[in-house]
Amino acid sequence: MSRVLIVITCGALVYVAASAQKSQGVAAKPVVRSAAKTAGKPAGKPVDFQREVRPFLSGNCFACHGPDPQTRMAGLRLDTREGLAETRKAGLPVTPGDPDKSLIWQRINHPNTGLRMPPLASHKTLTDAEKDVVRRWIEQGAQWQEQWAFKTPVRTPLPPVKNTEWVRNAIDRFVLARMEAAGLAPAPESDRRTLARRLALDLTGLPPAPADVEAFVNDQSKDYYDRYVDRLMASGRWGEHRARYWLDAARYADTHGIHVDNYREMWPYRDWVIKAFNGNMPFSQFTVEQIAGDLLPNRTLDQQIASGFHRCNVTTNEAGVIIDEVEAIYAKDRVDTTGTVFLGLTVGCATCHDHKFDPIAQRDFYSMAAFFRNTTQNAMDGNIPDTPPVIVVPSDEDRPRWSRLAEDEQAAHARMDARRAAGPAEFASWLDGTGRRNIKAPVDAAAQVYSLDPASVTLAASTKLGAGREAERKAVHFEAKTGIELPNVAAVDAGKPFSVSALFLMPKGDDAYVVASQSDGKDKGRGWVMEVLGRVIALRITADDGRSIQIRAGHLEQLKPGTWNHVVATYDGTREQPGMTLLVNGKTALAQGGDSMIVLKGSINNGQPLRLGHDSTRGLAGGALAELRIYNRILSAEEARLDGQWAQLEASREKAAPALNASEREALLLHYLNTQDAPYRALVGQLAALRDERRAMRRRGAITHVMQERSDRQPMAHILYRGMYDQPRDKVEPAVPSVLPPMTASMPRNRLGLAQWLVDPANPLVSRVTVNRFWQELFGTGLVKTSEDFGSQGTAPTHPELLDWLAVDFRESGWDVKRLFKLMVSSATYRQSAQATEKKLKEDPENKLLARGPRFRMDGEMIRDYALASAGLLSPRLGGPSVKPYQPEGVWEAVAMLGSNTRFYKRDEGDKLYRRSLYTFWKRSAPPAAMEIFNAPTRENCSVRRERTNTPLQALVTMNDVQFVEAARRLAESAMQAAPGDVERQIGTIAERLLARPLAARERDVARRAYVDFLRHYDSNQEDARKLLAAGEIAVDGKLPNVPLAALTMLSNQFMNLDEVLAK
Amino acid sequence: MNNENSGLHGDEITPAARRLARHLPQRLIEETVAAETRRQFFGRSARGLGGLALASLMGEAAATRGEAIGGQPGLPHHAPKAKRCIYLHLVGAPPQIDLFDPKPGMKDWFDKDLPDSIRRGQRLTTMTSGQSRFPIAPSVFQFKQHGKSGMALSELLPYTGRMADDIALIRTMNTEAINHEPAITFMQTGSMIAGRPCIGSWTSYGLGSMNQDLPSFVVLHASHSHPRANVQAISARLWSAGFLSAQYAGVALRSSGDSVLYLNNPDGVPSPVRRRMLDALGEMNQIQHQQTGDPETLARIAQYEMAFRMQTSVPELTDLSKEPASTYSLYGEEAKKPGTFANTCLMARRLAERGVRFIQVYQRGWDVHGQLPEVLPSQCKDVDQAVFGLVQDLKSRGMFDDTLVIFGGEFGRTIYSQGKLTATDYGRDHHPRCFSLWLAGGGIKGATVHGETDEFSYNIVSDPVHVRDLQATLLHLFGVHHEKFTYRFQGLDQRLTGVEPARVVRNILA
Repeated sequence: MSRVLIVITCGALVYVAASAQKSQGVAAKPVVRSAAKTAGKPAGKPVDFQREVRPFLSGNCFACHGPDPQTRMAGLRLDTREGLAETRKAGLPVTPGDPDKSLIWQRINHPNTGLRMPPLASHKTLTDAEKDVVRRWIEQGAQWQEQWAFKTPVRTPLPPVKNTEWVRNAIDRFVLARMEAAGLAPAPESDRRTLARRLALDLTGLPPAPADVEAFVNDQSKDYYDRYVDRLMASGRWGEHRARYWLDAARYADTHGIHVDNYREMWPYRDWVIKAFNGNMPFSQFTVEQIAGDLLPNRTLDQQIASGFHRCNVTTNEAGVIIDEVEAIYAKDRVDTTGTVFLGLTVGCATCHDHKFDPIAQRDFYSMAAFFRNTTQNAMDGNIPDTPPVIVVPSDEDRPRWSRLAEDEQAAHARMDARRAAGPAEFASWLDGTGRRNIKAPVDAAAQVYSLDPASVTLAASTKLGAGREAERKAVHFEAKTGIELPNVAAVDAGKPFSVSALFLMPKGDDAYVVASQSDGKDKGRGWVMEVLGRVIALRITADDGRSIQIRAGHLEQLKPGTWNHVVATYDGTREQPGMTLLVNGKTALAQGGDSMIVLKGSINNGQPLRLGHDSTRGLAGGALAELRIYNRILSAEEARLDGQWAQLEASREKAAPALNASEREALLLHYLNTQDAPYRALVGQLAALRDERRAMRRRGAITHVMQERSDRQPMAHILYRGMYDQPRDKVEPAVPSVLPPMTASMPRNRLGLAQWLVDPANPLVSRVTVNRFWQELFGTGLVKTSEDFGSQGTAPTHPELLDWLAVDFRESGWDVKRLFKLMVSSATYRQSAQATEKKLKEDPENKLLARGPRFRMDGEMIRDYALASAGLLSPRLGGPSVKPYQPEGVWEAVAMLGSNTRFYKRDEGDKLYRRSLYTFWKRSAPPAAMEIFNAPTRENCSVRRERTNTPLQALVTMNDVQFVEAARRLAESAMQAAPGDVERQIGTIAERLLARPLAARERDVARRAYVDFLRHYDSNQEDARKLLAAGEIAVDGKLPNVPLAALTMLSNQFMNLDEVLAK
Repeated sequence: MNNENSGLHGDEITPAARRLARHLPQRLIEETVAAETRRQFFGRSARGLGGLALASLMGEAAATRGEAIGGQPGLPHHAPKAKRCIYLHLVGAPPQIDLFDPKPGMKDWFDKDLPDSIRRGQRLTTMTSGQSRFPIAPSVFQFKQHGKSGMALSELLPYTGRMADDIALIRTMNTEAINHEPAITFMQTGSMIAGRPCIGSWTSYGLGSMNQDLPSFVVLHASHSHPRANVQAISARLWSAGFLSAQYAGVALRSSGDSVLYLNNPDGVPSPVRRRMLDALGEMNQIQHQQTGDPETLARIAQYEMAFRMQTSVPELTDLSKEPASTYSLYGEEAKKPGTFANTCLMARRLAERGVRFIQVYQRGWDVHGQLPEVLPSQCKDVDQAVFGLVQDLKSRGMFDDTLVIFGGEFGRTIYSQGKLTATDYGRDHHPRCFSLWLAGGGIKGATVHGETDEFSYNIVSDPVHVRDLQATLLHLFGVHHEKFTYRFQGLDQRLTGVEPARVVRNILA
């Protein structure tokens, strides 16, 4: 097809040959039309393809004539230039310049309703205005453009404007050019007080302190604006405010989401986001670390925490769910979220079929899913706070020592390795001596509480003696669910360390099995049991109240049926799950715990016999037990391996040194080092001390969820037919959507490569989508209103060149977030007054042309923080575990499962009632009530755009929520303290705190009259005054008189409900 | 509160104000007194303006004429049969075999295995997929025929039996979901994955509100009596507006604490004080509006007024003291206890009377995986008389003909026992292939039994009704064509019934 450029001059069409321009007619050949024909029919107002034509075609035609071949009708495509120019039996879909000869035009006007498009069944009716767009588009040459968002953004030259004086930076040139074209003029610049408040709210999420407002107003220096902006962005509040928006996108919350909806420990990720913004981390790095921080070479603890972005998704542990289905849902969520947040694309629409509107095939969706389907994460979250993979996040104070711990441990291991490799000189003589003939225990006879000798136990009816792992070994074989009971085996207890080791034959069935136990089902299961559930080994310890801690091997460490396995579980006596370890066949298992918040109470010792192969209800039918030992201390990993080499140690006892085979020799060396060799034992002791230190830090620190790749296979996924988990079709490798620039050869085909691709300069979407979302934070609406959808069905940008200019500028600045914000808030566009004239309201009700400043109702979090800050209540503390401020009773209970640990809302006390709202505990099935009423999302899915409704329920929150009533009272108190006896000044103080400006005379009059009426009421009803002042946890200032304080509290409550206070 | 003392309404402001001298500087008192005349004007005009704004925003006039406020142009598509709906959802899934779908032939199959020819490799939940056999558990409950149609119902539902001629029983409901969370979400939103609007939100959005003092879509949670009933989680997502504006989300009416969250004024703020505060707030907002010209400010004034009206209308709604004794003989004495299912049914009627369009009731405790013969009678006792009472009450008030009542769960339960089966004890697992649900009232043909299942109540033999069909039928009764009723989101014309085919169940229509 030849390349042509269409230029419209004075209504006539002139075709000019061009080499590589973006706009091209659909016609295969330039069509020369007689001037006479067009002269009589002026082409009318020029159409804007991206804003008018593409949305029309996409919304009305693409569903049947778009990218999806499965549903394409009549083989006709209207989403490509080629499709529009393809000759059909009846003619061309589009004949440039001639609507009557265009099939599209004919069919949308067809007299026969059966042939008219869109078809009746679609229930779509075209308006005259829509038809007019089509007519003009064809008349004007049927210019075609690719979807704007898929083209690389370029900096266009700044457009010329008339009112150059108004312009402060590049943004204003683009904005003003459109305004002038539409015959609108900018609003005047806001006064300094308004700007002081607007800037503080936009950059920190909090109202400015009155003193800061005054300083800003009175600052005579030239750079007063810059310095104010810089100071706000340097505050820790900046990061908190930016993070709050991001947490909606990341669907961050404090519970799992589905069913039991238990607590999930994840807040270190939230704190990472805050720190990243506060440190002005380049957005590219911010992206890479969240998508693939765990895969970075020499990853840091922080980078691993960042990878928690994709562990924020909703998970389930509902009994009965089908694992394959859940895993498909998790992968879909991760693709959808990545698509929405970074690409601004509704990739998820291609889950069941090719995308109906955008060129995203179903294969593209599953290729994206492949990046996320190679995880070690179990589909079931276990209802525990720390579903693996997780990492320990030490407290800030412990962090330096924490990283040195690892080095110290490595050093000790290295010295042990060296000594082991060299073999101490004394070892040879020990081998030759008689000492080793007396080895009674694999590790340390003194620590051994019990050791099983299969040959010596009295066999029960359903057991028999047979061969063990090595043919000569004896083992007890179990045939039923009953086992062997051994009374008089010393008991272990919860407050002391112990270890249990076993060498056992895994049965071939799929039941729950018990290897050994000292417990009794009748006594709430008190005691310990080593069991196999879902083919993974676990040790469970249960105390007086029936609550258990347990350690269980991860789902990827399933034991093979019919194999012998050696297992060691250790417990350090700290009564908590993190004090347990598990080694399976010589390797530390990737384990998952039970509830790590449980602390065992009382004793676990109930005088039960040791039971081999059962726990009085379940057994080890079809399995066998060759060794079982109980130690009264924890074993090191090496000792645990040594325990598994008992067979070799035993076999070597009677052999002369030269006759020993390699494995016997190795077992003996290990035994010698661990029991005889003083330097080695010193190192073992050192490691034990380091381990204790680590555990103490673990207890002081937190857990956070991270991503972790499976190492045993490469990322892949199956295309799921119609999105159904049980209908896998073609296998696909990880890849990015084919409509976008491909990954380069240097990008690995895993999440790290995906992350690198996202921030690659060739990617046309990420920078645009990101600057658009930041723009939305300031202006209330993005340049692309549908900030989640830059595709065909999204809205076209109001200022496409500005969006592109900002996107390129942002990327070229090194993705500098603070710089971008400074640019935006410094613009004259931003500084405009929000005042709306009749003309602007009529011609541009949505303020698409930005001919006035932003004004919109703040989010619920900001409204609450505003009240707390104005009242001087807001806690300055940054980060830490989530908190539970005031909330009406029963909100959680109404929806929770009986066994959920988030069933009852236990309100916090003190400082925790007054933390910034982004620290409020977020239960997904019942989000913070007051926030939800103000349109907060549930955080079940990624959300990049909040709604802003205006409802009576919101009025009830800010009038009646104890949080607001207490804040109103505190504000009244401080106003009275500041100006005792001077009511005028008291009212003025409240106004300044809440409005950042003095009251106008009329307003003062209204306020004063209301105050007097309140005063009158409380004077006559002093009990009411007392009750009102009692709201909240903070006691009232007893020195202040009740009646005026109550009246001023009501006035303060009134001010807090002003539209001006609720709006930014 | 004593108005004479409050001084908020009286004209004798001056003497009262003088008493305040001990709190106020003289100048302020004088200015205040001087402002009295102006105040009359401002006070009235502020209320007048606020009222005007409200009238235009809330369609006060329309409401007075009994028309809907809000709603979408072009709706309804045809004359509606139902103006409102009371949807009683029994969370956990009641066992159809023990309540609605008798299979007497199963007595001979006790403890025999479910034939593979019946199960046909259906996917099972992981709760029973590990079972080595699937022994058939016939219901221990007797069935009796009722009414003109001879509708067979369980002995556990005697009251329901008495109104058999009012209800249409569907025995062939079916779904694809096999677990509660996705299944309830499917019933409510047309999708198993959370995030889409629920039925109540769709109807509020499309058809608007029929009153100006209460939300259009209200959610009620009913308690259950049996302490060992197996309870499933529900969550706020079930009454969320999804991608529709949040103003269409359900408002949960609570049985303890504030009946609507944050409804009550703080202690020490009686209604006249709130009224005075709102007047002053309105005045200041008016001043602000003159500055900025932002229409949102007027909308906010209107919403504060609506909030104030709710502060009166909701307590009036929940105050049952004026209900006559006959109410309780109808619904049962339990209806006096806040939060019981009977109480909730009574509340649903009161909401319906006041023009609430969609009333969604949830009762939990129906997830009978075990101990079914022990738990089920108690669950049925909770609901049977109450729902009968509701239907009779609607009838006597002339509301039955335009109120749709729906009663059912999210899927069915298996004919085979989960866990141990004895002659007197068994449990049932989840079963998506068939379940029962009944409808009554607006536009429904009573004395109807629709659809037939096989002898195991396992597969559908004739006239299946998919979840989407039920939703299409519900919308149809509201005068809405489910394919024409769409909302543009993520570039798609979204609808409640989704993209798969759905059809109206004509057979149950009057």
